[in-house]
Amino acid sequence: MNSLKSQGFAPVVSHRKKDGSEWTVKEKLMLGLSPKEYMAVQLRNPFNWVLWAIYAVGLPILVGRFIFGLGWVTHSSYDYPWGLFLGWGLFVMVPLSASGFMMGTTVELFGRKDFKSIERLGLLNGLLGYLFAVMFLQVDLGQPWRLIYPMFVSLGPAAVLFLVAWHVATYLSCQVAELVPAFAEWMDFPKAKQFIKKIVLGLTVAGIILSTLHQGALGALFTYAPGKVHPLWYSSSFQWFQFFVSAVFAGLSMLIVVSTLTKWFMRWRCDETYLNNLSKLTLGLAKGASLALITYLVIKIIGIAHDNDWQYLASGWGAWFMFEMVVGVILPLIIYTMAVRNSNASLARFGAFLAVFGLALNRLNTALITFNWQLYQEIPHWREVVIVVTVYATYIVVYRAVLARMPILYTWKENK
Amino acid sequence: MKKLHRRSFLKGGLAGGAAIAAVGTSKHAEAAGSFGGYPDSMGVLVDLTKCVGCRTCEAACNKEQGLPAPDKSFDDPSVFEEKREGGLPRRTTEKAYTVVQKYDVPGREHPLFRKVQCNHCNEPACLTSCFVNAYKKTPEGAVMYDPTVCVGCRTCMIACPFYIPAYSYSSAINPVVKKCIMCYDTRLKFGKPPACVEACPQEVMTFGKRKDLLKLAHQRISEKPEAYVDHVYGENEVGGTAWMYLSDVPFDKIGYDTHLGDQPIISYVKEFLAIVPMVLTIWPALFTGFHLLSNRKDALKNEDNKS
Amino acid sequence: MGGRKKTLMGMAALMLLTAPAGAQSWAADGPGTVELGSLANHYSAVTFDHAMHVGVAANCAECHHHTTGLAPTDPNCVRCHEAGAQARSVACKDCHSDKRFSAEDLEKTGGNPQLYHKGKPGLKGAYHQKCLGCHTTMGGPTGCQDCHTRNDQGDAFFHSGKYAPAPKASGGHGGGH
Repeated sequence: MNSLKSQGFAPVVSHRKKDGSEWTVKEKLMLGLSPKEYMAVQLRNPFNWVLWAIYAVGLPILVGRFIFGLGWVTHSSYDYPWGLFLGWGLFVMVPLSASGFMMGTTVELFGRKDFKSIERLGLLNGLLGYLFAVMFLQVDLGQPWRLIYPMFVSLGPAAVLFLVAWHVATYLSCQVAELVPAFAEWMDFPKAKQFIKKIVLGLTVAGIILSTLHQGALGALFTYAPGKVHPLWYSSSFQWFQFFVSAVFAGLSMLIVVSTLTKWFMRWRCDETYLNNLSKLTLGLAKGASLALITYLVIKIIGIAHDNDWQYLASGWGAWFMFEMVVGVILPLIIYTMAVRNSNASLARFGAFLAVFGLALNRLNTALITFNWQLYQEIPHWREVVIVVTVYATYIVVYRAVLARMPILYTWKENK
Repeated sequence: MKKLHRRSFLKGGLAGGAAIAAVGTSKHAEAAGSFGGYPDSMGVLVDLTKCVGCRTCEAACNKEQGLPAPDKSFDDPSVFEEKREGGLPRRTTEKAYTVVQKYDVPGREHPLFRKVQCNHCNEPACLTSCFVNAYKKTPEGAVMYDPTVCVGCRTCMIACPFYIPAYSYSSAINPVVKKCIMCYDTRLKFGKPPACVEACPQEVMTFGKRKDLLKLAHQRISEKPEAYVDHVYGENEVGGTAWMYLSDVPFDKIGYDTHLGDQPIISYVKEFLAIVPMVLTIWPALFTGFHLLSNRKDALKNEDNKS
Repeated sequence: MGGRKKTLMGMAALMLLTAPAGAQSWAADGPGTVELGSLANHYSAVTFDHAMHVGVAANCAECHHHTTGLAPTDPNCVRCHEAGAQARSVACKDCHSDKRFSAEDLEKTGGNPQLYHKGKPGLKGAYHQKCLGCHTTMGGPTGCQDCHTRNDQGDAFFHSGKYAPAPKASGGHGGGH
């Protein structure tokens, strides 16, 4: 598409074509290309071939999971009841999607309108991340058709997971509402947009509360397993706070990563405002992320001191912990600080990749790698890995499809 | 944002507030306080010094609970040599609610046999972690599981400090948690001991009121201090369990986790549960306050423009 | 556990044990053999060679505690039963309940704060603890079927013999993960 644009192709930015006639929905879905051109573009993209390869292997296995049961795709472990589906799909996806509430807070609550051009990307990153976290959950649940049981059938309100379920569900609707304006512009439903505008502050405040609690709750889920999670990754008192603060830097860093990817691979879809502001905003996000990183580092150290876990640092697990902290927290912190000081957006982008890696490593360490540290290490079944890759690929496909169409990376021209 | 008047701001705030109130109020009232167990609940005292590893309890459990046929006969001692991942001894599975493990203890003349099944905690971690209330602690002492509401999140398996609940992963349509229910439906409810207790030829297990069993356990230790370690496992572990154990070998040498502490598992979660109502009540005011402060200049400008 | 059947067998055994001399042959100061079948369920009754055991045991109190009038061997028992406290009957079943953990048994043991012998084993426990305990230290037979042969019902119960599961080609995952 980038090459098409350099040849003079103009993507859809308003309801009217150059000649003044209106785009039909079908034409909008086809990105303003003719069906033939659209197919040609799809076939030319090498990334699509990778996706098709993933689906060729992954879709039958995903279907198989629902026909033959979890026992067919996992090792059916009683000792490791949670595998990659939740380890990656829930515990990594959700913090990386904290960008939604972060951007909502920045722009709508603190009135930082200079972040407006990246706000929608932040919201979309949040919405899709949560949506696919629920998808991963549906793959993992023994009886996915009972997903609504904790809401309406049999309530266990004293459980942490009850809070996660309710808050993720509520927050998901919040995020849908927050993105209604983008959809309304694209589909030409001005009333919907105006309605959301009226309640946007309420939505944002609700988003902060729900996010604080459910990001924290994901950490608190592990406080049920005091003997199973390694002490360096466990803190009865601070687990929720560690998960919340790390979600803050992870959400911001993920936004930098995604915006970098759009700048590289979807430049055709970005408008001037977005591209011109991106470096400056990247540094702004980096600044916020570095503040969260230092907070996180301090609370991690306090956690160790509080439980007097120092002696574990000298063990093999301690070395692994130090690796996570140095590469995933301290290094990005230093890089972000240098980047902000020297106004070097590229450096900040590198730091963002590291921070996202650090977050993912932390969550996988807590949920899988250090879990049952006194027993043995569970290595996920290959089919489990394939399903994770397949669902994540779908996440990317949907993400890309929305970015290519709705006014996320560009501003809609209301020329009616 | 400029157009945001006080009224629409209030409306938005109310909408958000209502959304949260719907999910937030009185959420954790049930988590407060601690529960020491029903006063007359039943229990089982397992005297490990008496077990000879005949596995009759396993056979009785299999029959009573209508479990699928075992992979090996119940009189086949080769199962004791079976190891699961990590060289660990056999554990409860979806096909076996109780298993006997064998420990060769250095210095002990004969191997020690240990029966494993649900310990039926006074304040069970599985129960407190379940978001659909599938677990119930009956006044008789059994921890029951309701497969008809279970969603299959398996948090109970994460939470159980004893690694007891198993899951029927093999079923695609109706996978459920599988664990010992102390024969509640068929026996305990009618005042009868669990099938394994009744079947045991050695009377390794004593069935009775938990409080009586505790006295008995300590009586046995004081009568034969040389025959037992001075600890009743399960008296206080994770808040106390209905099944308790006597041993002549230190418990940490025969696979028991002696670092579980005396607090029920839920007590480790309470610090988080306590912040929930605080966030729910303080955050809305705090952040709308931030909003008003950070937009103060704009608001003042608007006032000036109007006047 | 086939309650009705057990009761029937229990009654039969009771009759055997209480019959004066019919089924039992008496040695000088005790029965020659005793048919232990009151609990038979998965196994056939045990024909206990009392006379032989009289020869092996140091004294009657080894098995009969204080009930034969001798001082018991367990120092803990001596505290109260030094004089022996001979009982009218010395049969195991007269003190060790064959309905252990039944409602009335629990009432009797749990409900009485005065009772010292709270943990007194039931009949089955008493048999096995006594026999196996001694056999282990004395080098006697300790296998289940060394003393009583398992019947068809027992084979089914243990999934053994003709009820044994078909051997599996490989261990497989088996859910034991």
